[in-house]
Amino acid sequence: MSTLVSSSLASPLSLLQIETQFGDRIWRGDALGSSPDQVVSSGFNELDKALPGGGWSTHSLTELLLPAEGLGEIRLLNQSLKYVTQSGRNILLINPPHIPYMNAWENLHIDSRRILTVRACKPAERLWVIEQGIKSGAFGAVICWLSDANPQAMRKLQIIARTTASLVFLFRPVSAQFEPSAAPLRILLSPARRHTLSIRLLKRRGTPVVLPIYITLPQIRPFSSPVIPIPILAPA
Amino acid sequence: MLWIALHCPTLSLDWIERRFPAALIPAMAATVRKGNQVYIQQANKPAQQRGVMAHQPLASALSLFPDLVVVENDPNEEMKALQEAAYAALRFTPHISMQRSGLIAEVSGSLKLFGGLKKLCQSLNQAAAAQGLQLCVGIAPTSKGAWLLAQSAPLRAVINGASTRFRLLLDSLPIHLLESAQPHLEVIRGIGCKTLADLQRLPRSGIARRFGPDLPTELDRAYGDSPDPQLWLEVPEYFQQKIALMAQVESVELLSVTVQRMIEQMCGWLSVRYAAVLGFSFVLHHEYSLRQPHKSTLLNIRLSEQSDNPEHLMILLRERLDRIKIVAPICGLELIADEITAEGNHNLELFPTSQSEATSLNRFIEKLSCRLGPQAIAGLNIIPDHRPECSQRLQPFQPLEASKANNFSCRKTILEGSSHPLTRPAWLMDTPLELRMQRQQPIYGSPLKLLAGPERIEAGWWDDALITRDYFIAENELGQLLWIYREHDPIAKSNGWYLQGLFG
Repeated sequence: MSTLVSSSLASPLSLLQIETQFGDRIWRGDALGSSPDQVVSSGFNELDKALPGGGWSTHSLTELLLPAEGLGEIRLLNQSLKYVTQSGRNILLINPPHIPYMNAWENLHIDSRRILTVRACKPAERLWVIEQGIKSGAFGAVICWLSDANPQAMRKLQIIARTTASLVFLFRPVSAQFEPSAAPLRILLSPARRHTLSIRLLKRRGTPVVLPIYITLPQIRPFSSPVIPIPILAPA
Repeated sequence: MLWIALHCPTLSLDWIERRFPAALIPAMAATVRKGNQVYIQQANKPAQQRGVMAHQPLASALSLFPDLVVVENDPNEEMKALQEAAYAALRFTPHISMQRSGLIAEVSGSLKLFGGLKKLCQSLNQAAAAQGLQLCVGIAPTSKGAWLLAQSAPLRAVINGASTRFRLLLDSLPIHLLESAQPHLEVIRGIGCKTLADLQRLPRSGIARRFGPDLPTELDRAYGDSPDPQLWLEVPEYFQQKIALMAQVESVELLSVTVQRMIEQMCGWLSVRYAAVLGFSFVLHHEYSLRQPHKSTLLNIRLSEQSDNPEHLMILLRERLDRIKIVAPICGLELIADEITAEGNHNLELFPTSQSEATSLNRFIEKLSCRLGPQAIAGLNIIPDHRPECSQRLQPFQPLEASKANNFSCRKTILEGSSHPLTRPAWLMDTPLELRMQRQQPIYGSPLKLLAGPERIEAGWWDDALITRDYFIAENELGQLLWIYREHDPIAKSNGWYLQGLFG
C-alpha cells in the first residue's frame, strides 16, 4: 500500500499509461459501450452500429416504446427472431395485443412451431410469467407487452435477465418514457414515412444519441394485382 | 462397508407430533404400562415446562397439568413413522435396515455421488429429520457399531467412528446399549463391567455360558469380528401413502410441511424403483358428517415429462393447492403415484443443451398451466385454409424435437406452395372490427388511405362459413398499416369496411 502511494506521489500516471496498463478494464464514457454478452444482430446495419456490442444484447432487458401496434415492430425484430428459431430455440410471447397470424410470421422465416403464447390478465401474473420464462432458460427470446410496470419490477426483471442468455423485449406504451427504468437499452419507436421506422435511443450504454436513426423496413409485398382505383371511396 | 445409523430417541412422541401442524402442537406425553401402573415415558417441551417428567406416574403428571394430552405407547405407529423416514432416506442409498427406534443405512456406494461422507451424512440426516424425527447419528464401519454409536450420541449430534478411532470409541461405550445384555444388566454391573472394553476382556466361553450366546455374538458384530447379515427394507410395488392429521386444518399453508414430507417419501420410493412419476393424485380427506357431505377433494396432477425431483413436484402441487377452495376442514392427506415410467438416463449436464432446454421448457409449461390454467398457454397450428379466421388453431404447445426440426426446409415449401408467399399481417383481430365511416371513407384513428388491393378471398362454401371479401392494405396518419376488407356481395351491396389485421 505504502509503495503504491509513494510511487503515485512521485510521478502520477499519465492517461496514456493508465490506459495501456488497465486496457479493457476501463470504459470511457464518451465511447460506445461494448457488451460483454453475446449479441444478436438486428439485421439493420445503421441500428447495429448504434447498439452497444453491435446488436440486441442477451442477458439484459430491451425496452421498446411503441405508440401503437402495426408500425412494423415485428419486422424490426424479424432478423433476430428468425435467428432464434433457426438456431433451434423457442420464442415466448406474453400477452400479445392481438392474435399473431402465423402465416405472416412464417413469411418472415420465423418457425411458427417454436412460438408459444401465454395470456396472463393480471399485471402481477404477467410479471411472474416473464420471470419464469427468463429463468427457465428454455427460450431464445421472451417478448412481453407490458402496459404498466413499476421501477422495482423492472429492476427485478433486469436482475433475472442477467442470468440467462435470452433476448428479452418489453413492448411498452410511449408514456413509459418518462418513468425511470432499469432496462439498459430503451428505444422509442415511431413511424417516419411509409416502411420507415424512426428509432430514438433514449438510453443505452455509452454516449447518448440525440438524432433518431431511420431504418427502412422490408417492404410488404403488394398484392399481385396492381392497386385499382376504388370507385366507392371517391366522394359521391 | 460404511454405515450411517440414525437413532430416534424420542420416537414415541415424534410419531404423533409430526401429525400436527407445527403451530398447533399441544403439551403431550407418551405413557408406558409397567405392571398395573402407568408411567410417563417421554414428555415434549411444552409438557416439560409444566413440570411433567419421564418416569413420573401418570396420576402425578395429570395432577401437575390436567390438560396434558396422553398418548399410549404404540409400536405400530412408531414403526410407520420410521418407515416413512426410511422412504425419504432411500434417495441416498437403496440399502436401509430398520431398527426398533431408528434406521441403519449402508452408504459406501453413495459416497461419490453425494459429495463425500460429510455431505452425504448431512443430507441423509436432513432428509430423515425433515420427516419430523429428532435424530442422533453414528457412523462406523460395522452396522452394529454405527447403531451403538448413534444410541450413545446426544440428541442431534453426530459421532463419526469411520476412522482408526472406531475401536477406541466402541470400547468406551456403556454396556446397557447392547440389546442382548438387557436382561442381565444387574449382574454385569455387579461383576464390575461398565464399558464394552470391560466385557471384551472377560473370557468368551464364560460370557456365553452365563449370559447366553447372543451377547458375545452381538459384541463381535459390533467390532466387525463376525459377519452381520442384514434384512433390507423392501418397498411395495405401488406407492400410496396416507396420513391422518391430528388437527382439523383449514389452511393449505399449515399443510405444506406434511405435503413436502409425502413428496419426499414418494421420491425416495421412486429412486429405489429407478422410476419417475408421470402423474400423481393428491387427496384431501375431510371430516365426513351428515351436515358436511364432502368426503374428499381429489387433485390429479399430470406431468408433461416424467420427473423424480421433489422440488419440481412440490412446486406443481403447491400451485394447485393454492388455487383450490377448501370446502371443509381437512383431517387426512393421501398421495398416490398413479403413473410410473422407467426413468430415462438423465445425465447431469455441464452446459445447457437442446435436451435440457426441452426439459426446462416442459417444466415451464407445467408450472404455468398449474397457476394460470392450461388454456392460458398455447401454440398456434397452421391450417391450410385461405380464410384468416380458419387458418390457424390454438393447441397445446408441443415442444419441437431436434429430429423434426430438420425438415424445416421441406415443410416451408409445402406451406408456401409453388407460388410466392401471400401478403399477410402479423396481427389478427379477435373478430373483425367494423370501421366507422366518414364521408364514405373508413376511419381508424384517422381517415385511411388505400395502398394496395384488392385481393379477393372467397372460400368456405363447403362448411357454411362462406366468406367473399376484398382485402386492401391501408395506412392511417399514425403510420399503422392495416389489413381491411369489404364484403364482396353483388346482391346485398353492403358498404361496410372491416379491420382484420395489422402489419406488425
